[in-house]
Amino acid sequence: MKRKGLGFYLRIYVKILAQDIKSKMSYRADFFISTIGMICTNIAGFITFWILFRNFPSISGWNYYEMLFLYGFSLISLTPVQCLFDNNWSLRSYVYSGDFIKYCFRPINLFFYFQSEVFDIKGLGQLAFGIGTLVFAWVKIGLAFTPLMLLKLIVFLITASLIMIALQNAASATCFWIQNSFYILDLAYRFRDFAKYPVTIFSPVFKFIFTFIVPIAFIAYYPSLVILRPDTVPVLSWLSPVIGVVFFWLSYKFWMYGALKYNGTGS
Amino acid sequence: MAPIIELKNVTKEFKVLNRREGLKGSLRDLFSRDYKTVRAVDNISMSIEQGEIIGYLGPNGAGKSTTIKMMTGVLEPTSGEITVDGTVPYYNRAKNAQKIGVVFGQRSQLWWALPLVESFKLLKDIYMIEDKPYKDMLALYQSLVDIEPLLHKTVRQMSLGQRTLSDILAAFLHDPKIVFLDEPTIGLDVSMKSKIRTLIHALNKEKNTTVILTTHDMGDVDALCRRIAIIDKGKMLYDNDIEHLKGFFGSYRTLKIRTDGDHKIQAEAIRAELPDFSVSADDEWISVLVDEDRQKVIDVLGQLQKSYDIRDMQLNEISTEEVIRKIYEEGVQ
Ligand SMILES: Nc1ncnc2c1ncn2[C@@H]1O[C@H](COP(=O)(O)OP(=O)(O)O)[C@@H](O)[C@H]1O
Ligand SMILES: [Mg+2]
Repeated sequence: MKRKGLGFYLRIYVKILAQDIKSKMSYRADFFISTIGMICTNIAGFITFWILFRNFPSISGWNYYEMLFLYGFSLISLTPVQCLFDNNWSLRSYVYSGDFIKYCFRPINLFFYFQSEVFDIKGLGQLAFGIGTLVFAWVKIGLAFTPLMLLKLIVFLITASLIMIALQNAASATCFWIQNSFYILDLAYRFRDFAKYPVTIFSPVFKFIFTFIVPIAFIAYYPSLVILRPDTVPVLSWLSPVIGVVFFWLSYKFWMYGALKYNGTGS
Repeated sequence: MAPIIELKNVTKEFKVLNRREGLKGSLRDLFSRDYKTVRAVDNISMSIEQGEIIGYLGPNGAGKSTTIKMMTGVLEPTSGEITVDGTVPYYNRAKNAQKIGVVFGQRSQLWWALPLVESFKLLKDIYMIEDKPYKDMLALYQSLVDIEPLLHKTVRQMSLGQRTLSDILAAFLHDPKIVFLDEPTIGLDVSMKSKIRTLIHALNKEKNTTVILTTHDMGDVDALCRRIAIIDKGKMLYDNDIEHLKGFFGSYRTLKIRTDGDHKIQAEAIRAELPDFSVSADDEWISVLVDEDRQKVIDVLGQLQKSYDIRDMQLNEISTEEVIRKIYEEGVQ
């Protein structure tokens, strides 16, 4: 048997995703309605943000545009989890009905195969919003635009995305053990709303939780410090890419462990 | 030649939580260690040669699917060993998957939203099938069943029969050494069943594919299998040629009669009248299984003639269906 390397997986991934997008596009009404829904959600989110923060010159030392930067940054970093790992939301029903077994019969990585099946186009709208917000904030703050800054931005966006993905993988994998795992996944989903705010606005207890237990502070806060506060970057910021990779890897292991331990339902 | 599949003293146990009732019960379940063990497969040994079609039979809950899940690498046995073409499936799931095809009846593995031909193309990439064998296989399929109209339908739009057919075609696509078919004909109409039997038979002949088939339809067994393995409550009851098994029942005859009334109702009455005999009915015939060593067919016929208006009759050897039913009921002596 030939080796199945990165190239092989990349090719398969693109093909399966392309098929999914093609078939979704063919349900045109569905596609438009969900796109409009997504735009509305984003506008509503933005308005909420605006109402909350326009009256404060600064919160815990963060001014309005810096908050906006964080907001845009978190929206962009949410895009990969939204677009590429959306099948996690269906995992529970596959496991519950026993249909999960179909993913076990293919000669490719189980996690990969499962996640490759769904591409959620709605995430792209969010991406556009995120980029718009980020660029706006970037200009207003007067940040320099140098290759180094761009590199930092990209590295930390990837970091943030990895943590988001890891959080969702871990939450959805609980369904291999627990029946009502939907609440856990939903909780993880809600937690990520907090990623939009600097952790300094939370009480010390929550600050600790969001840093070390459910590390959502690494999604936007610690990474953006590198760009917004280059003079006083805490160690945790520099650590965040490592934490992102480690956390993603752990969540993958956890997911796979659950999948392999899962005995299926009798039929 | 070494057997393609070998099972040695394979046992599989499931731990199931003893669930308690009510809210208080569920709360206690959360911390409960009160498990009971279900032995789904109990010390099974079997060896299967390349190219065989083996009928794996047993009543519901006997452990057939569990055995298949172990052979496909999805489950690990609690004890015992399995090798499939030289590898241990549950330690090399992906490697094993390359060599096998699997169909679980009524559980499609194809992409619902895609036309069948697109599913096939994805499988071609996933299994790394070369262009030539891929084209040849599609040509072979076309010659066996008319797949052209199916190719451009999405799986979602297909009937259950078409879906099953597609799943079987997909399972054979990469020319695997072994194909596992778990109740593939369940819920299908007669003509689709026969189409699927023809297809499996032809592919087995053409490609020398080993086929493990579980089914409740003895028509499948008669059409496809020489060898059968019967399992009940996890234990192997019988594993040999079907003719050999019928030999045990050499003195049995199936007396078939046709009457005017409703066959189902009359069969009920006959069952009451002849409690020692196994009686079954369909639209065409009422069948009574008679052991000639104990009672002459002619006497039974005479007795039936007193109460029923017999229009037509037939005398046959014991059918596979009846043999299997007797085994489930009484076991192998
Ligand atoms: N995942 C599981 N957890 C607990 N019990 C199971 C599981 N899978 C199967 N069983 C039990 O094992 C036995 C055999 O099941 P199965 O192999 O599906 O039977 P068959 O396919 O012959 O109908 C049944 O009693 C079933 O309830
Ligand atoms: Mg079964």
